[in-house]
Amino acid sequence: MKKLNIVLALVLTGLVSLSAQAVELRDHHKEVIGKDCKTCHDNGIKQFPSDQACLQCHDIDDLAEQTARSEEDRWQNPHNNLHYGKDLPCQECHGEHKPKKPMCSNCHTFKFDKHKE
Amino acid sequence: MSNNNLLGRRNFIKGMGAAAGVAIAAPAMAISEKADGVKWDKEVEVLIIGSGFAGLAAAIEATRKGAKDVHIFEKMSYFGGNSAINGGLFAAPGTPMQKKEGVQDSVERMVADQMKSGRGVADEALLRHVAEHAVEALQMTMDAGSEFHPYLQQLGGHSVARTYQTTVSCGAGITQPLYKECQKIGVKTHNRSKFEGFLVGEAGEILGVKMRENYHFGEDQPGKVIKIRAKRGVIMATGGFAQNIDLRMAQDPTLTAEVGCTNAPGATGEGMYEMFRLGAIPVHLAHIQSGPWASPDEGGFGYVSNYSIYNFPHSMAINRLTGKRFMNEIADRKTRADAELSCRDEKGEALPPILITSYKDSKKHPNTKKVIKYNVGWKFDTIEELAKHFEVPLKPLKAQIEEYNSYVKSGEDSQFGKNMTKAKDKYIQAPFTVVRLWPKVHYCQGGVQVNTEAEVKDSFTGKPISGLYAAGEVCGGIHGVSRLGSCSIPECMVMGMTAARSMMKA
Ligand SMILES: Cc1cc2nc3c(=O)[nH]c(=O)nc-3n(C[C@H](O)[C@H](O)[C@H](O)COP(=O)(O)OP(=O)(O)OC[C@H]3O[C@@H](n4cnc5c(N)ncnc54)[C@H](O)[C@@H]3O)c2cc1C
Repeated sequence: MKKLNIVLALVLTGLVSLSAQAVELRDHHKEVIGKDCKTCHDNGIKQFPSDQACLQCHDIDDLAEQTARSEEDRWQNPHNNLHYGKDLPCQECHGEHKPKKPMCSNCHTFKFDKHKE
Repeated sequence: MSNNNLLGRRNFIKGMGAAAGVAIAAPAMAISEKADGVKWDKEVEVLIIGSGFAGLAAAIEATRKGAKDVHIFEKMSYFGGNSAINGGLFAAPGTPMQKKEGVQDSVERMVADQMKSGRGVADEALLRHVAEHAVEALQMTMDAGSEFHPYLQQLGGHSVARTYQTTVSCGAGITQPLYKECQKIGVKTHNRSKFEGFLVGEAGEILGVKMRENYHFGEDQPGKVIKIRAKRGVIMATGGFAQNIDLRMAQDPTLTAEVGCTNAPGATGEGMYEMFRLGAIPVHLAHIQSGPWASPDEGGFGYVSNYSIYNFPHSMAINRLTGKRFMNEIADRKTRADAELSCRDEKGEALPPILITSYKDSKKHPNTKKVIKYNVGWKFDTIEELAKHFEVPLKPLKAQIEEYNSYVKSGEDSQFGKNMTKAKDKYIQAPFTVVRLWPKVHYCQGGVQVNTEAEVKDSFTGKPISGLYAAGEVCGGIHGVSRLGSCSIPECMVMGMTAARSMMKA
C-alpha cells in the first residue's frame, strides 16, 4: 500500500506541474478572463491568486444562497458551513488548473453534484 | 462501497499529501536565530500563533486587558484549527446549569477525576488552575454568543455531570463566535502565515518571529519570510502534532499511516518542535490518544465517531474473520484501539471490525439518520443479509449474538467483563445498524512544559523563557497518561486567557 502511494504520488506530482501551463477554463470563465491571466493572478503570474481574487466577480452571499440546503442539512452549505461560516477561501475547494475535492470530504461523505473538480 | 478497501480514497489522498509535502518542505527549514542587527519588517504589540480555542481566547483577553494591537497568525487558509471541528463538549465545575440540576461539584472534584485518569503523572497545579477558571472561560464563550444544549452530560471518567455541549454539537459553535468577537474588537487576523522560527535577544529572550507570508499549505509556492518584532511577546497556540506521521511514530511506532487521524490537517507540530530547539522542556510526548470509535469509511471524526460513542454500551463489536466479539466495547480508549488494530485477515491485512446495534436503540442518536444517509453505516433487516454484506461467517455470528443476549439478560458479560448496566433490556435483534471501526489518532497529551502563568520553562535554567508563552494542546503534561473527554476546551481557553494576562502584566 505504502509503495503504491509513493509511486502514485510521484505520477500525480508530475501531472500537477505539467498542468500549471495547461489552463482548463470553466466555460463561464472563458468570456470574462480570456487570455489575461492577471485577472485572477493578482499576486503575480507565478503565485496563487489572493484569497480575494475570486470575489472580484463572485459574491459570497449569492453563492451561499445558490448552494443552500434544506433545514436538516443547512450546515452542509459549502459557502456557509458549520465550521467556517462564509470565511473559507475559494481555493480550498476550487482550482482552475488543478482538480480539487470539496474540503468537506476530508471528514464527510456527502455529495456536491455540481462541484466541478 | 467496497468492503475490502480499508481506508479507501482518503488514505490514498493522504499518502499523496505526505509524499508531496516532504519534497516541498525540505528547502524551507525552520530555525531560530539571534536577533542582533535584524531589520524588522513589521512590529506588533501582542503576537499570537494559531487560531484555535487557545489563540482566540488569548486575543480577546489581551484586548480586554488593554492591548491595542493584537495579531493572530494562522498558517492555514481558514481559521480555527482542531477547535473548529471539535465535538463542542466543555467541562466546568460549579456552573449555573449544575446548580439548576442539583449536581454537587467542585474544583477539587474535577481535579480528582482528572488526576485519576492521568494515572499519577498529571500536573495537579495546572489542572487546578484550569478548573478554577473554567467557568470564566465558559462565560467568555457565552458573552461572544455561543449557545449550549439545555442539559448537562456525564462523560466517561467524570464522577458527575459537568459537561456542556454547543447546540451545533461542534467546537465551531465556540470558534465562530470567538472569531467574530475578535473581528469586532479589532484583533487583526492573518491567514496563510506560517511561523518558522524565533528571533532571540542577547539574554535568550524572545524578541520576535520569522513568518512565512502567502503560504499555501501542501502546495509548492515559496511565499516570503518576514521578520516580525513582538513588543510584549509571543503566545504559541499551535496545537498538537497528530497529523505528523513521522513525529508521532517517533513517539509511538504503532501509530503508522494505517491508523487514521481525526485532526485538522494543520496539526503538524512544528511550533512545538521549534520551542524544543529553543530549550523548552518536552513532557509526555509518547502519550498519544487514539479514538476507537472512528470509522474507515469517512475521514476525520466524521459522523460515525459520535454515533459509536453513544452506541458502544448497548452494541456488539465483531471480528469479521471469526464472527465473534474481540473486546469489551466500553473499555478505555487504548485497550479498544489496540484490540481493533489486531483484527486482520489471513494475510495480515487490516480487516476493520464491525459494530452491530439494534436499530431501535441506535436510532435515538441524532447522527444515526446521517450515518445511514451518507453511506458510512448500514441498516439490515436480517442477520443473513448483514453477514453476507460483511463476509462474516454466519453460524458463529448467530451463536455470538445468542451468547451476548444472554449477558444482556443476566447483566454479566462472562466473555469480556463489560459493564452491562446500560445494555439492560437492549437485546441485539433485527433490524440492525452497522458501522465499521478503525482507530484514529486523536489527541497529543505531550508538548512543552508551562507553569500556571502559561510561561514556557527553559530546560537548562529552569526559569521561564522571557517573552514566550504557550497555551492549548501544544503544551504537555497537564493531563498525564489520558485526558478526560471535554477537558481540552477549558484547558485551551483558560491557558490562552492566562497567557494574555501574564503577558500584559509582564
Ligand atoms: C475531532 C475532534 C473532536 C474533539 N472533541 C473535543 C471535545 O468535544 N471536547 C474537548 O474538550 N476536546 C475535544 N477535542 C480536543 C480539542 O479539540 C483540541 O485539543 C483543541 O481544539 C486544541 O486547541 P488549540 O487551540 O490548542 O489548537 P488548534 O485548535 O488545533 O489550533 C492550532 C492552530 O495553529 C495552527 N498552526 C500550527 N502550526 C502553525 C505554524 N507553524 N504557524 C502558524 N499556525 C500554525 C494550526 O493550523 C491551527 O489552526 C477534539 C479534537 C478533535 C480533533
